[in-house]
Amino acid sequence: MFRDCCLMLLVSVLLAGCSATKQSLQGTVPVPAQPFPPDALVTQRGVLTVRGRQFSVNGYIAKSRTHGLRLIMTENFGAVLADVLVNPEGKVFVMRAKPPFRRAWVERYIAADLKCIFGEATDSDCPVRMVSPTHFIVERRWYKVDLWTVETKPGTQPAEMFDVTKGGKP
Amino acid sequence: MKNMLAITAAWIALVTAATAQDPLLQQLADSRPVLQELQRKMSEVRSLYLEFTQERHLKLFNEPLKSEGVMLLDRPALIRWETTSPYQSIMLGNHKSVAQFESNNGEWKKLKLGFPQLLRRVMEQIALIHQGKLDSLTNDFAISVATGTDVAVLTLAPKDETMRSMMSSLVVKLLPDFSGTREVLTYEPGGDFTRIIFTRERHNVTFPAGTFDQTNPLGIAAVRAAMDHVP
Repeated sequence: MFRDCCLMLLVSVLLAGCSATKQSLQGTVPVPAQPFPPDALVTQRGVLTVRGRQFSVNGYIAKSRTHGLRLIMTENFGAVLADVLVNPEGKVFVMRAKPPFRRAWVERYIAADLKCIFGEATDSDCPVRMVSPTHFIVERRWYKVDLWTVETKPGTQPAEMFDVTKGGKP
Repeated sequence: MKNMLAITAAWIALVTAATAQDPLLQQLADSRPVLQELQRKMSEVRSLYLEFTQERHLKLFNEPLKSEGVMLLDRPALIRWETTSPYQSIMLGNHKSVAQFESNNGEWKKLKLGFPQLLRRVMEQIALIHQGKLDSLTNDFAISVATGTDVAVLTLAPKDETMRSMMSSLVVKLLPDFSGTREVLTYEPGGDFTRIIFTRERHNVTFPAGTFDQTNPLGIAAVRAAMDHVP
């Protein structure tokens, strides 16, 4: 346990460029304000790396200029791992979180990354690098995510998709 | 763990072969003879090549989320599951290990898999079923069979409560003589479901060398080209 903590601390220091604050990574290029259409359904494939181990996930993001963002994250065979809604004011609603993801992680990290890439977030806590128009890398202390945009369907998304009373499971 | 059970179930269904509620379907009082016949047929299959379209139906979305791919099986325990669209990903398994590759701008990268033992277990289950050992299904599912003029439908209801919380039922549509699989549906308690439609199926084919290589798998184009020569 101690060894793991030391390792994580070392990695976090390296990743943070020896900074004690939660600043963006060195060399991080801010994501352009609007790399996606204001209204669209975007499909992304992601590889999550945590402590050297990798997991592939799919992300389906409904983006609406008037209603906000909704992300459904699934594993390889379609089971939903996380479902999160971000309203236009930036408030986060975790609709679903399934193992191995915890509700707090979804709110703290997944929603934050979602806002960084798809929202209007421009604050310093956006460790996102845009390698190409279709390839993003998110690097935080505990994990790295490679995200590839594989499909973008421009168009207005149904308002129900952004209704906090719909879609989540008890 | 629950996720893995659901995945296992989906895999099993793929290998054994959803129902459009055909009014002409007749529910069989005793499904055992049909299951035995299915088992006999499956035991004759040495290898299997399947092309599929997967539709993920989520209530939230107006349209299904679609993907395409292929599944290959070869005795005794070689498995390849590949998604070809809208992204490219390969999962390979044998009785000892599993591997996964992701395509990054046309370049394949092997993942350092997390929880490989769980994926390997799933692969093993598929291999067992592929050998016609349906006995393992009855431990985990209540199986019912319905037949119609042009379809046989297997409905698998999970016995385990935790599994039922993830998947209410799994429905497999087969050709009436069990010579081919049409589609598989997995229904979830909340109303979401996944539909896998098989568009091309070949039995007892000889796969080219490298098809199941966990270091440098042969490209799917070459595998498909070889399948084109199968009657």
